Amino acid sequence: MVGVSEVLNTVQMGLAYMVIALPLTLSYRVTQVINFVHIIFITLGAYTVALLGLIGLTNVWIALGIAFLLGGALAVLDNVAVFEPLWRRGSDVLIIMVASLGLWIFYKYLIYAVLDKLFIILRTNTLSVLVRTEGFPSVTLGAVTIDGYLIDTVVTSVVVTLALYLILMKTRIGKAIRAIADNQTLAEISGIPRGRVLNFMWFLAGGTAAVGGVLWALFQTTVTPEIGDQIILQVFSIAVIGGLYSLTKTALGAFIVSGTENIVIAVLHDTFGLPLSFRPFLVFSVLLIVILVWPPLGAGGGLPYRFRIRPRARR
Amino acid sequence: MAEPILEVKDVAKYFGGVRALDGVTLSVQKGGLIGLIGPNGSGKTTLFNVITGFYVPTRGEVWFEGERIDGLNPNEVYLKGIVRTFQIPRLFPSLTVLENVLLTPPNQIGEKPLYAVLRSRWEKQEKELAKKAVKLLRRFGLGRYIHANVSELSAAHIKLLETIRGLMTNAKLYLLDEPAAGVAYDMAKEMFSFVKRLRDEEGLTFFIIEHRLEVLMEFVDYVYVLHNGKLLAEGKPDEVVQNKAVIEAYLGG
Amino acid sequence: MEFLINFIISWLPIFAIYGILSISLNLEIGYTGMANFGKVAFYAIGAYLSAALTMSVMLSLVGKSVPLYSIEAVQALSTPGTGAIYTHPAAYVGLFVLSLVLAFIVAGVVGYFITYPTLRVGPAFLGITVLAFGEMFRVFMRNYEPLGSTKGLFGLNNPFIWIGNPQLSQGLFALVSLALLLAIYIYAERFVNSPLGRTLRAIKDDEVAALCLGKHVPRVKATVFFIASGMAGVAGVLWTFYQGSVQPDTFVPILTFYVWAMVILGGMGNNLGALLGAAVFTLVDRVLTFAAGMMGPSLIIPPNYLRWMIVGIVIVLVLLFRPEGIRPAKPIKTPAWEAVKEVSEGG
Repeated sequence: MVGVSEVLNTVQMGLAYMVIALPLTLSYRVTQVINFVHIIFITLGAYTVALLGLIGLTNVWIALGIAFLLGGALAVLDNVAVFEPLWRRGSDVLIIMVASLGLWIFYKYLIYAVLDKLFIILRTNTLSVLVRTEGFPSVTLGAVTIDGYLIDTVVTSVVVTLALYLILMKTRIGKAIRAIADNQTLAEISGIPRGRVLNFMWFLAGGTAAVGGVLWALFQTTVTPEIGDQIILQVFSIAVIGGLYSLTKTALGAFIVSGTENIVIAVLHDTFGLPLSFRPFLVFSVLLIVILVWPPLGAGGGLPYRFRIRPRARR
Repeated sequence: MAEPILEVKDVAKYFGGVRALDGVTLSVQKGGLIGLIGPNGSGKTTLFNVITGFYVPTRGEVWFEGERIDGLNPNEVYLKGIVRTFQIPRLFPSLTVLENVLLTPPNQIGEKPLYAVLRSRWEKQEKELAKKAVKLLRRFGLGRYIHANVSELSAAHIKLLETIRGLMTNAKLYLLDEPAAGVAYDMAKEMFSFVKRLRDEEGLTFFIIEHRLEVLMEFVDYVYVLHNGKLLAEGKPDEVVQNKAVIEAYLGG
Repeated sequence: MEFLINFIISWLPIFAIYGILSISLNLEIGYTGMANFGKVAFYAIGAYLSAALTMSVMLSLVGKSVPLYSIEAVQALSTPGTGAIYTHPAAYVGLFVLSLVLAFIVAGVVGYFITYPTLRVGPAFLGITVLAFGEMFRVFMRNYEPLGSTKGLFGLNNPFIWIGNPQLSQGLFALVSLALLLAIYIYAERFVNSPLGRTLRAIKDDEVAALCLGKHVPRVKATVFFIASGMAGVAGVLWTFYQGSVQPDTFVPILTFYVWAMVILGGMGNNLGALLGAAVFTLVDRVLTFAAGMMGPSLIIPPNYLRWMIVGIVIVLVLLFRPEGIRPAKPIKTPAWEAVKEVSEGG
């Protein structure tokens, strides 16, 4: 049945998705590269909060701050070491995307290997960690209890989104980022220091995604090394709904996907007995429908080719 | 006057609230050398995009040789005989000059997925096309570059190659988007006299966007002027340059 | 010597499987510029199709009507000596061949229809759609009871197991795999060295310009996807008969990127390079597994993690320092060259 918990879950999940997907769209729009390392930022953020809790540092705001710095640093490192050299050599964006894919695989198993050793030292036999952190307390309104993590998520995502908006719209560096997104060549001719601006953009994107990872960990309450991989499909679908271009539509997409995963599946489960494990199929259907009905042409490249949209013209 | 080969009837194209084209009607005569000018953002390239099937017009019709072609896809428009070149030439850098030319004939046997692996089926056609291509390249002074990579060509040669490769096929109408952009004045003049030669020798029709009026006006027979998506003026080159509205649009735009 | 022969016999089918996969991926990315991040889906389709088909037909031949995933099915099929795959050798080999054909067609058709609508939205979206499709297929199989859900299907074996001599039957299978790989390699080579191959290169360079030259770009791309997906289906069949079983969690997305690493290392746009890449990675994998067995838990990084870390870092380093791979792309060879010579000699 669709109850209060589904609605609250939709909100919390949607906000986490939004904070994760916004920087993906942002970095795509500026560099035209779908960055697969994005998944690692999520894992990094999630483990930051989980491991800090494990060693007794249970303040969620500290965890968010550290996650932001770590994610940002990793993103800048990738840009300086891999993306920028490739771009300067004139590589196709597809190639840069594949490079990010390689980085993703490398980091993913590096994390596995590191955790493996870490947990031998910590004498636990599982790689998953329960999140123990504290922010706002839970609030009870009549019969409904609003979880403290949900309040943390709302506050964080509002602050992050607002900050992103202000940075992009009101600051000089934000204007520079948008200028590069619109026209690289023109931006460089007009004297915008592309390298520095891009590093800043990556720091912002990586940091925000890691913050999203923390929020995702708060929602999941248990962190495993697969935590980032589990939501690739969802995050990419959200970004595609946003056409990998519009930040507003990306935010909207976050709630469409989280609504599908919570409310729509609950309705279908009740009405048609659809197993809950079919959740990913619904997300995939959303993705396909979006690609078929509103193909994100333009921003994502693509062909000026239409399947016959009007009867063949005759004389 | 000769019969029109291309007719644009009341074509409009809106992007959201922006009216890139707003009711343009014009026609291109067979064997003509027609210019299309206008300030930046006046809708010239949008018009080309509508004619070649990149966009579907919001309103209006495009007719080519008595056939309606708006709404067709770019590949279908090409097969009708309309060849387009781009402001920044789009050749294929991983192919040689010869291969760039060999690519153009449509419906080659060896392009069919089932026959591609059966060399004997298409070998003869391929050789014939190659001979034709070599002759074509030699005729226009590119004989030395047959096996060269496209990146080894000069800017002018690239534009030349982009134009002549349409001659491999049944091209009838050429849409040239700023053929003289980015080349020196002398080269630009040469480019246009070459276009004129193609028109005279091959009976082709040319419809040309050009910013460099000083070059364009010497060669074309007729000029259309676009401004803010509308037709501002038309006529013989010397009439148009004296048109007050045109002068204002250029100076004010 | 004995060791070496055994090693080669057990390595060859794996090499053939990955060789076919990397040639097929190379057709897509190296020649046509289509990013397929879901190769594994078509591989899985081939594997599951052959397992389900062969097992159900073999079971009905011996008159058993039990679910495919049941222990009775496994017993009825593969009990040494009395199982169906020992008592009906002709049918077993026949089904192996039929599986190859059907897997090519089914995987190919699925590939065609999955990609045709998405081909116009740009490479990144295509990649993500196919990646999502592969994950969907795996999740579906994990939950699909008739095909064994998470446990998968067991009870098959090498198609020549009935011969009795394990070395001989394995050797025969290795030869068949190698022959298939060779056939696919030759096919791919002829495919790309043709006027169609020229069109593919043009599409890779600039698909919009190719469209403006009258090439039906979506159809050409979908056709290449059909052929390449069909090849992946064939590789899937080989995998089923090599492994004797299929499990959904074999077909994780990372397998696709394993093949990507092979193609990138070998050289995008070069079929021989793709084969070299496949050889290098499958050999390294064997050596790692071997070394892990020798060194045991003292190895600092578990071999499975190390293997994937190598895959990831190879992709990055090759793209950074030798983007053309071991063997750079070659120009297309068609008889046009001979014709040019004739013209030149004739004056």
